[in-house]
Amino acid sequence: MKRSGAQIIIEQLCVHGVTTVFGYPGSAVLPLYDELYKNAHRIRHIITAHEQGAAHAADGYARASGKTGVVITTSGPGATNIVTGIANAYLDSVPLVAITGNVDVPLLGKDSFQEVDIVGITQPVVKHNFVVRDIEELAFILHEAFRIAGSGRKGPVLVDIPRDIQTKLCTYQEMKPADTAAPIQKHGDLQEAIQAIKGSKRPYIYAGGGVVASGAQEELLEFSRRICAPVGLSMMGMTALPASYEWNLGMCGMHGTEAAAIVESESDLLIALGVRFSERATGDIEAYRKNRTILHIDIDLSEIDKNVPSQIGICGDIKEVLRSLLDTLPQRENNAWQQRAAQLKSTQNVSSQNNFSPKSIIETVSRYCRSDTLIATDVGQHQIWTMLYYPFEKCRTLLTSGGLGTMGYGMGAAIGGCIAMGGRQTVLFTSDGSFGMNLCELATAVSQELPIVVVILNNQSLGMVRQWQTMFYEGRYSQSTLHRKTDFAALADAFGAIGYKAATLQELENALQNAPKVGPMVIDCPINIDEKVLPMIPPGGCVEDIITS
Amino acid sequence: MEKFTIELIVANRYGVLNRITGLYARRGYNIDSLNVNETADPQFSRMLIVSRGDAYIQTQMVRQLSKLYDVKEVTLMATVNFKK
Repeated sequence: MKRSGAQIIIEQLCVHGVTTVFGYPGSAVLPLYDELYKNAHRIRHIITAHEQGAAHAADGYARASGKTGVVITTSGPGATNIVTGIANAYLDSVPLVAITGNVDVPLLGKDSFQEVDIVGITQPVVKHNFVVRDIEELAFILHEAFRIAGSGRKGPVLVDIPRDIQTKLCTYQEMKPADTAAPIQKHGDLQEAIQAIKGSKRPYIYAGGGVVASGAQEELLEFSRRICAPVGLSMMGMTALPASYEWNLGMCGMHGTEAAAIVESESDLLIALGVRFSERATGDIEAYRKNRTILHIDIDLSEIDKNVPSQIGICGDIKEVLRSLLDTLPQRENNAWQQRAAQLKSTQNVSSQNNFSPKSIIETVSRYCRSDTLIATDVGQHQIWTMLYYPFEKCRTLLTSGGLGTMGYGMGAAIGGCIAMGGRQTVLFTSDGSFGMNLCELATAVSQELPIVVVILNNQSLGMVRQWQTMFYEGRYSQSTLHRKTDFAALADAFGAIGYKAATLQELENALQNAPKVGPMVIDCPINIDEKVLPMIPPGGCVEDIITS
Repeated sequence: MEKFTIELIVANRYGVLNRITGLYARRGYNIDSLNVNETADPQFSRMLIVSRGDAYIQTQMVRQLSKLYDVKEVTLMATVNFKK
């Protein structure tokens, strides 16, 4: 039976288990949107306020659910508006399929209306991308797109589909999803790893997003207990272990905990699991490597020895590698090391300058949350405070932009995550700067009746920029003080959401008590402009350079 | 810096050369010479790329190139020292 290109897209989405897509229509995708209209009972389409929001929503959907997110936009500006969202997914290895329309095939390359070379534009920030110039290739290309996005080290794939391809007819043969357990390049010797672990007196685990991606939380916990190794987490790995686990030292790196920095510096074996050694996590690489063996395990061979040379590198799926190690490694006893880590964790104290501080605000909100509440953030000081003070207990409950550091990510991500988990309680920690970038998506949360609580840590400035200007630019606050007069509570009301202003913990609690079951709420929390993210290891520094007050 | 040659078997279609040279360009590695030929099987092309870099760069290039969808085989050619 012959089907149109648009019908084939719908069939391929359904075959790959897609039930929800995020997007924004336009002339180059009208045939596809006509089919989405006819297939509304099979695929739910969420229209956002801006294409960037749709891309972040698809990303948030993928992070919360573990499924591949899908975003659909028209050509030209529709396509360029999702570039940030695609790059964001690429840097954090989030599985995403982006479908863009384009002008008819004969008009390609002629600077036609709303024509851009989106395949050229996105090339450095996708795992792969395709232009469909022949309808006979359409089904196969979509099949490949889902296979590539969801296999190995996950990431975004873009498929550019000209409008006339969507209307042409061809015989469609259903292509079932590929087995996503793609072959992984074998590299490294497990025996060497086992010997290093057995010979280590002070092992330390640095765990990241790869643990979450491979669903290896249980294995990581067991591994840490078995070999008596405390764990520091990268930002992408924040939900890889429960915060309540006694050897979870929290985030490591530039804005990580002091306990993680000290334990890391005292370790003789650093076991890196599913991380890429971002310079934000390592600081000075020579100091980082000194006096310890580095065992690096990652699914992407090109990450081994890329940023930090390792003595032992193993390429493989984290869950499988950990299971193999657990099959062999005996239970160890290591009281002195265990006590040292526990003592450092227990003495972690971070001063707050006043009662209504970022710490007390986040702690108050966390008491109102359940263990499976989705936490989204934007980027900046509030993001780091969330990592330091929010107790993440369950995997995939955090939606945050780690690699790209995208201000304006949070609102779209909260929407996508909330929808993915069937309208689960969702909190977005944001700031006046970040929220200002994509607050238009509040309209989407209203129209979709999503129970998202937006907590704005409002310091009237770009806090992280200001902090660096205080510390490294002698207080020259170039363009970081905003002088805006936005009334976020009134703005929320204008959007059809509920708005509150809370200047005390009591007011914050009152607002949270009134959080609606249906529809979003915004709580504007004014905080001191000079609140800082501490501790901090300056760029390129090491544990000796840590600034704690 | 030491010269090194990478041999690639790649899909023979538009855009592939761009993806490969883009990978070199993003890391700031100049391509000293580039050779592309269709193989006996027209689905594939063979590329020979001469560039400069130490062992770290050579390993990174092989691993990064291996990740490209259109790249089927990557070989780091041994440096040949031959005199008659």
